[in-house]
Amino acid sequence: MIAVQDRKLALWNIGVAYVAFLIGTLGGLLQVFIRNDALQLPAWLDYYQILTAHGVLLALIFTTFFIFGFFITGMSKSLGSFGPKVRLFSWVGFWVTLLGTVMATAMIIAGEASVLYTFYAPLKASGFYYVGLALFIIGTWISSFALVGHYRVWRKNNKGQLSPLFAFMTITTIIMWIIACLGVVATVVFQYIPWAFGWTDTIDVELSRTLFWFFGHPLVYFWLLPAYMAWYVIVPKILGVKVFSDSLARLSFVLFILFSIPVGFHHQLTEPGISNFWKFLQVVLTFMVIVPSLMTAFSMFATFEIAGRKNGGKGLFGWFTKLPWKDIRFTSIFIAMAFFIPGGAGGIINASFQLNEVVHNTLWIVGHFHITVGTPVAMTFMGLTFWLIPYLTGRKFTKSMKVLGLVQIITWSIGMVLMSTAQHLLGLLGAPRRTAYSGYNDHPSAMDWFDGLLTNHVTMAIGGSILFVSAMILIYIVVMTMFLSPKAVEPKDMVDFPMAESDMSRTPKWLENWWIWIGLAVLLILIAYAIPLSHMIQHAPPGSEGFKTW
Amino acid sequence: MSQESREPEPNLKGTLVSVFIVGLIIVVMWVAVYLLYVAR
Repeated sequence: MIAVQDRKLALWNIGVAYVAFLIGTLGGLLQVFIRNDALQLPAWLDYYQILTAHGVLLALIFTTFFIFGFFITGMSKSLGSFGPKVRLFSWVGFWVTLLGTVMATAMIIAGEASVLYTFYAPLKASGFYYVGLALFIIGTWISSFALVGHYRVWRKNNKGQLSPLFAFMTITTIIMWIIACLGVVATVVFQYIPWAFGWTDTIDVELSRTLFWFFGHPLVYFWLLPAYMAWYVIVPKILGVKVFSDSLARLSFVLFILFSIPVGFHHQLTEPGISNFWKFLQVVLTFMVIVPSLMTAFSMFATFEIAGRKNGGKGLFGWFTKLPWKDIRFTSIFIAMAFFIPGGAGGIINASFQLNEVVHNTLWIVGHFHITVGTPVAMTFMGLTFWLIPYLTGRKFTKSMKVLGLVQIITWSIGMVLMSTAQHLLGLLGAPRRTAYSGYNDHPSAMDWFDGLLTNHVTMAIGGSILFVSAMILIYIVVMTMFLSPKAVEPKDMVDFPMAESDMSRTPKWLENWWIWIGLAVLLILIAYAIPLSHMIQHAPPGSEGFKTW
Repeated sequence: MSQESREPEPNLKGTLVSVFIVGLIIVVMWVAVYLLYVAR
């Protein structure tokens, strides 16, 4: 069991994450009904306001607070209790992040920031919204540096040794996050804030979008890497085996530092201000991310096969039936991984230059991020929640909670299959994203899109409703395990942090030489961004005034 | 030269086939959208 003070820190982070989850999923429910023309909002509430809240609260706030809760617990467990300075800075980071969250959320609720989660200029929110975003990022940096400080103390006391896998992966994720945030901080501080407060009249739209996506794509990996940490470090322990390969796990993580950042242009493939060469280069670099992703897939299947064979599984796939399907900690994460197969494949399609033409700005993209961050990441976090909160609170994870957990995971899966399949198919037909209900002036082509059994707003709404029910079950489990479930007194009732053993005896030391990876990452970023960014600044078009379309 | 004692290699045939299936799903989805792109 980790120190009480560290547990409190982690629990506060997870608590805030689930408050954001509650409001964010409610926003999702309202959206599917509005798009189905089954719900009319009151005059003071706007579709785009709800859409912004849904995106920001789930994709940014829920994920980030949960990730820090997970990191804090794992770092305290694998490297030992935090020192007073680490603890202090972790709290400062938490409060600054929370202050930013509250400011940004208040502006969305006040109707001053319906600029959607990507906050593309020239849509202009209140300046305080951008200040909130900046504080949010700065807060995460403070929390990150606190964890780096904890790691450095451990390294000093354990000279020449590789750090435990969990700590290594945490530091990898943090390095990537800090580099990635430079883009969004630059655009928010130097472009959006002066513009939103009226200190400058116009904004360079293309530059702001480019700096946003410098951050926006690695943000995806900031969600995904903690989920991968659970897959690499937690799952083998649940299955009763060691980490498949310590070197492979570490190598795949450092490759993410290299290849998750210099790739933002694949989100901007339809934009005129960037020449095809630079777009193509970044598409190639994007495809490099497939390498560590498939290394992870291989490693997971190998872990399953070794565990299944250990339990008596025979033949080519006999091991599959020998996995602990009744263990909700495993089943949840397994389903999360399964969703990532079409999710990852969809990502390759999105990034494939011409194929991007087919799916760009369509509902396909919405379907895509619901089966990447919305399920593989979110459901992995759900699977972690089932034991992480009881571990931190010292409460039991009772039988009824286990049954509810299973119901929650199954309903989430069913809801997501319905909603996301409908979104993918509608997107392929041409249905746009980011729009409220539209009758398309009864145009026959548009009407045809929504005629199928799956390509239907009703299917999407049913899926969304099931997802909301699932989310509420999860909130119930969170409240119970945080405050109400009986305390675990007997050792058999104590919930443990399942952290697998990882054989580091053959792991090369250079994998933990951060300067190699940071140096290579900077080099790749310079190659991919230096020239196109300098062109963008030197040949900047006239800036745009702000627009408030809501 | 010292002979390192190694544990027997685990049987990972199922893993090999599984990753091929993942690869196949990627290729099938990609080709499907590519054909849609060409058809338009």
